[in-house]
Amino acid sequence: MSCRELADAVSAYLESELDPVERDRSDAHLRACQGCRLLVAQSQAVVAALRGLEDAPKGAIDTENEWAVALFHEHGLHRPARRSPGIPLGLDGALAAPGDHLAYFWESEQEFGATVGFVAAGAAQGETSVLLGHEGANDRIEAATNRAGIDTATLRREGRLHFVSGLRSADALLELVGAKIDLAVDRGAPLVRILGNLGWGRPEWPNEPDLLRFEARVTNEVRKLPVIVMCAYDVGHLAGGPVLLGGLECHPLIYRRGALRSNELYVPAEQFLGALPPASPIDQPRAARRRRRER
Amino acid sequence: MLVANPQASAADAAVIAALRDGDEVAFTRLVDQHHAALRRIAGLYVSSSAVADEVVQETWLAVVRGVWAFQGRSSLRTWILRILINRAKTRGERESRTVPFADAGMTETAGAASSGAAGASLSPDLDGGHDLVSRRGSRLLDPKPSPEGAVLAREARAHLRAAIDALPVNQRTVITMRDLEGYSSEEVCNVLGLTETNQRVILHRARSGVRARVAAYFRENDDVVASRDELSRAGGRGLGVPRERA
Repeated sequence: MSCRELADAVSAYLESELDPVERDRSDAHLRACQGCRLLVAQSQAVVAALRGLEDAPKGAIDTENEWAVALFHEHGLHRPARRSPGIPLGLDGALAAPGDHLAYFWESEQEFGATVGFVAAGAAQGETSVLLGHEGANDRIEAATNRAGIDTATLRREGRLHFVSGLRSADALLELVGAKIDLAVDRGAPLVRILGNLGWGRPEWPNEPDLLRFEARVTNEVRKLPVIVMCAYDVGHLAGGPVLLGGLECHPLIYRRGALRSNELYVPAEQFLGALPPASPIDQPRAARRRRRER
Repeated sequence: MLVANPQASAADAAVIAALRDGDEVAFTRLVDQHHAALRRIAGLYVSSSAVADEVVQETWLAVVRGVWAFQGRSSLRTWILRILINRAKTRGERESRTVPFADAGMTETAGAASSGAAGASLSPDLDGGHDLVSRRGSRLLDPKPSPEGAVLAREARAHLRAAIDALPVNQRTVITMRDLEGYSSEEVCNVLGLTETNQRVILHRARSGVRARVAAYFRENDDVVASRDELSRAGGRGLGVPRERA
């Protein structure tokens, strides 16, 4: 073994990470080379000195406690009430709180395009976004996000932008979105934003009653999570049912005309789900027939 | 390939349950445990201690908010660190002081880039022979400093600190987490998304860089160079390095 090889292996040597053969070669070299013994000694001394470096400034942390207690009770999701909104929604300076589920009604392309602000605000804060929508909507939002100067390829690569589209059952959809949230939180995302453009009446999506069940359940599912869900409703094209039942009755909050407001028409999920007709086994074949016709 | 996450322990699970229950004592205990280390690590990514403090506060905020979603697939400490680094990187990028970790693998990212092409030695400071540490230097770096060494030790600390600050951000982060804060290589890989091999290479470069700088300083500031015999005795001490047979 040369001195150079030994030098390259010195950290591994000190960490006992060398395999037995390399270890023996290193030992043999060290027996013969005073200079390398010195190198190892220095390296070890540096590591030891580094380990001692941070011992001094301990204590004085108790002063943080008061602050920590206040933060815990103000923002902890153990409290049942909605947290005070302090998170930029990305739309006209509106503020949201974790656990919010809001509807966004739009008519013009300009209004639709403004939802990019929701994603952009998250990207700026190191958050993770999930585009939960039909492909047409997701593609347009991704393109607009790039136009806004945010590189979605980087966000995708870093696991900070996810796409969920076209699953046929509401349960599967909820499960998949839940898994994305878990993964994002696990990886250290401080918040997860979900931008919904649900595929009402689209063949690859759950049927209408199933999507309504999904919308109603989302409110409770995210209440205690570091998640904000914004569901966009295309009122120019959607039928009245989805707009009234899905948009107005499933969202505790509505963003409209530059402000986020609580929604008097919201129906608590249990009540809403109780009033829905039970999931009919007929729905599935019917949807399948419709899909076949559309092809 | 990334190593498996160290799972949350039973103790972690108890803390998580307490936080979900709204137990403020559990939270303040957690803050006491980690706050100082988080502050130091945040300081590696951002330019001022005020910003580092903000990053740490935002981290605690995310912990408080995220504890219902945290599934315990990693230890609580690893999770908190991930939040911190995520946040610190975002802030650091805004201050454009940071180098993305994805580029930090086997290629030099900064500083030492001029020392050679790929495949060059990881220890550029060794060209042409070995470092000789001065007598004073070896005493300063002694893990058990002598009584008269308090002032010198402070000076040595300052130089170690400066040597770390001069490293590229990836090396600075890895050496701080491994050697200063005592995180395991597994945790560091997890938190920073590095492979075991990359982590080892980065750590090695960082240590070599610090050693080279510190040695250079002591050479500059001290005209006494210890004899090789003396150095070899220092070299043998407590290392588990076999001594020459007498």
